[in-house]
Amino acid sequence: MFARIHSSIVLGVDGHPVSVEVHVHNGLPGLTIVGLPDASCREARDRVRAAVIASKVTWPPRRITVNLAPSLLRKAGSGLDLAIAIGVLTASGHLPGSAVEGLALVGELGLDGTVRPVPGTVPLVDALGTRTVVVAHESAADAALVARGTVRSIATLEELLAVLSGRRDWPTAPEPAAPPERPEAGREAGTPDLSEVRGQPVARRALEIAAAGGHHLLLVGPPGAGKTMLADRMPGLLPDLDRETSIEATRIRSAAGQRLTGGLLRRPPIRAPHHTTTAVALIGGGTDSLRPGEVSMAHGGLLFLDELAEFPAAVLDALRQPLEEGIIRVSRARFQVELPARVLLVAAMNPCPCGEAARPGTCSCPAGVLARYRRRLSGPLLDRFDLRLEVLRPETGELLGGDRGERTETVAARVAAAREIAARRGVRCNAELTGTELERWATPDDAGRDLLEAALRTGRLSARGLTRIRRVARTIADLDGSPAHIGTGHVAMALQLRSEPRAGGVAA
Amino acid sequence: MNGLRVPTLPEPGEEESAALIALACIDGIGPATLLDCHRSEGAPAALEALRRDRLGGVRPLAERVVGGSVRATMVRTARALDPEDLLRRHRSHGRRVLVADRAGYPAVLLEDPAPPAVLFVDGDPALLDEPAVAVVGTRNTTRIGREIAAHLGHELARHGVGVTSGLALGIDGAAHDGVLEVLDRRDAADPDRGEVFPPPGRPIGVVASGLDISYPRRHATLQRRVAHRGVLVSEVPLGIRPNRWRFPARNRLIAALSAGLVVVESRLVGGSMSTVEEAAGRGLEVMAVPGHPLSPASAGTNQLIVDGATLVRDVDDIFFALGWEQPDPAVPSAREERPDGGDAGERGGAGPAPPPGLAGAVLQVLGGGPASLEELVGRVDAPMAEVASTLVRLEVDGHVVTTHGWFELGARGAAALGAR
Repeated sequence: MFARIHSSIVLGVDGHPVSVEVHVHNGLPGLTIVGLPDASCREARDRVRAAVIASKVTWPPRRITVNLAPSLLRKAGSGLDLAIAIGVLTASGHLPGSAVEGLALVGELGLDGTVRPVPGTVPLVDALGTRTVVVAHESAADAALVARGTVRSIATLEELLAVLSGRRDWPTAPEPAAPPERPEAGREAGTPDLSEVRGQPVARRALEIAAAGGHHLLLVGPPGAGKTMLADRMPGLLPDLDRETSIEATRIRSAAGQRLTGGLLRRPPIRAPHHTTTAVALIGGGTDSLRPGEVSMAHGGLLFLDELAEFPAAVLDALRQPLEEGIIRVSRARFQVELPARVLLVAAMNPCPCGEAARPGTCSCPAGVLARYRRRLSGPLLDRFDLRLEVLRPETGELLGGDRGERTETVAARVAAAREIAARRGVRCNAELTGTELERWATPDDAGRDLLEAALRTGRLSARGLTRIRRVARTIADLDGSPAHIGTGHVAMALQLRSEPRAGGVAA
Repeated sequence: MNGLRVPTLPEPGEEESAALIALACIDGIGPATLLDCHRSEGAPAALEALRRDRLGGVRPLAERVVGGSVRATMVRTARALDPEDLLRRHRSHGRRVLVADRAGYPAVLLEDPAPPAVLFVDGDPALLDEPAVAVVGTRNTTRIGREIAAHLGHELARHGVGVTSGLALGIDGAAHDGVLEVLDRRDAADPDRGEVFPPPGRPIGVVASGLDISYPRRHATLQRRVAHRGVLVSEVPLGIRPNRWRFPARNRLIAALSAGLVVVESRLVGGSMSTVEEAAGRGLEVMAVPGHPLSPASAGTNQLIVDGATLVRDVDDIFFALGWEQPDPAVPSAREERPDGGDAGERGGAGPAPPPGLAGAVLQVLGGGPASLEELVGRVDAPMAEVASTLVRLEVDGHVVTTHGWFELGARGAAALGAR
């Protein structure tokens, strides 16, 4: 009269094992679900009943209690449907208890008994340990990425019942109609190439430095200067994800409800949320399962915020902590989750509302409008950008016949080499160098030091900016094939690529 | 202005002054209507008519005020105002209330085609009748523009000429900064060591708001200093913030109070152009500082020169154009004689030597106007890192100044470029 079935739920980007305990006894017929189910979970009652009847099995006319343990964890979503259905049928004696031993079930049921995939297959299956996992056909590939036990997939509840009662074998998952092409560790086809950018050598260089050192980059320029064009070429420069990041990114993508078309994510993800995005959508949280936000979705990759100044100030300021720590802690009354959020932030904005302010003496914005526009970006946020660059409209001559720059693969090779140097220092990229590591690895030579001292003395550089300048100088030197020392050229370049911001009054 | 024969004028009546202020406080009565009321039936009669809602007896109001809710609001406002209290407040803190065609009104405004019926003054009203030149320009300037404005303000004041301006950001503020610098230096002079200076020119600030309001707020200190060291005037009653239409009205007052107008930097359209129109309409000498042909910040001034404005390279050109004899400077110069001259202490000689090589090439490019790193790298034939290092060094020693990633010539850079 009792059965226990294993399943799991997703909270944030992590799966949590859940035991579905079913008790069937005499009394007024009915089904009660306890153990903090949320609305979508409580609806399972009606789906499960319909699916069981559609599978040509009589619904036990008895009192059924379903408990989702641990009962303190709030359960959201429909992934427990399958476990509840099998639990009910096992507890009522339709299936032998031995049939479900060592089994874990994840899937949503349709009223006709179809087993549907649920978002977050990767973290869900990851939480189930070495048990045999049963999922919908569509989830089989995702589940296989992380499963430590066998993965079985089925199409309908009826089919599953037949397998469990020994009337047939496990079905094999049908091959996906069009097998997704896996760009093997290479660049995606159709990614725009850096050589398409005419002229703008400084901007191209800034992209390379940002990619190599993981330095956040702010592009400021009038409309038509090619800010978005430049940012579009950034992903191609980033190296493939390392194994650990790749698993994290895959898990996040799955938790966010996206199907993984081809195994683990190897290339860095790119997210470009629109400026109407809310703080919750950007940071994560919101629903009961605390879905990861855009920043987490870009974990290990690129977060591109176009029209940065159009984002509401509250949304931008919510970015400050994740940018610094690489992780987001979302807390709600009952629970809290940690969402990974290590991103390379590339942002673009106009210098002023009319877009022309870049060149001194050109803008025609009223002072008040300008002041309001500049207040939108807080100093602390601007300070997070190691590279701040003015981008200009290329001159006509350059557009038509300007020299084509290096190809993406050439630059990407240098970036990869620089990242390898950084890895030898024990960090993923130079932006992560701190304190003693910075002292050890990023001390400029005497001439470079003189230059920094002069810049500090004249107020060109603030003490706060010094650390960031040193990291960037480190990256530039690495790219130049000089991992041992940092010269004046490197320091000067780092200084000039971090122009004084327009708001907040934070000096370089 | 010196030759102007000042007729004996009647003293302004208390009731008249109070009624003028009250009328000026009413939305819908602009400077022209106010003057018309003042010169026809008189302000007290106009105020009384408004309060009784019988405008028939006061022609300017009867002609201009139509019926409806606007009129109702004006009547309601007029009834709510307490003219005596207004007058008292406008005379507090040493402020003065001057009335057109009455004793104490600046002679320079008496012959103006559109004088303010009532003028609020903070500071010394006698300064309004001293010779003054208006120095105005755009709010969004280049660095050199600001330096030229400050230099012209400095030099005009040093030669005993007042400087009229609108206390706006950019050129206006820089011009008055230059004037105040002369005054500060004169204060610091030691008479015991024989450093006695004749009186320098003073700042004359014209604002579009009430005298108690600072717009832009960033110039609150400047506005206080101008009132303290010179004179601050407005035709707007206390407590009123500037509307859009107040600025052209303010510009007309700047033109009315000056003998000549110098535009330092202006784009093709902008507030300075309305000042130019007012000045030209009054037959003032309009002068403009030329700029690089490609610089948008100087497009307006260059056009003015094409249209016949006098080209101003330095203060001598202003004196020459106005037909004034250049008097002995009241205060010895702290600056170089060139508008782009170096800092104090670098007087005499040909200025600093031009830096050689790449630095020189960079300065040469910047001589054509502000440039970004991208542009500099494109125009100077050198690797990016070397251009960057050169720029840092030029910044550190003051040849080049950077704002928001844009590089401009600093005072020393301009001097060095000039010495080439």
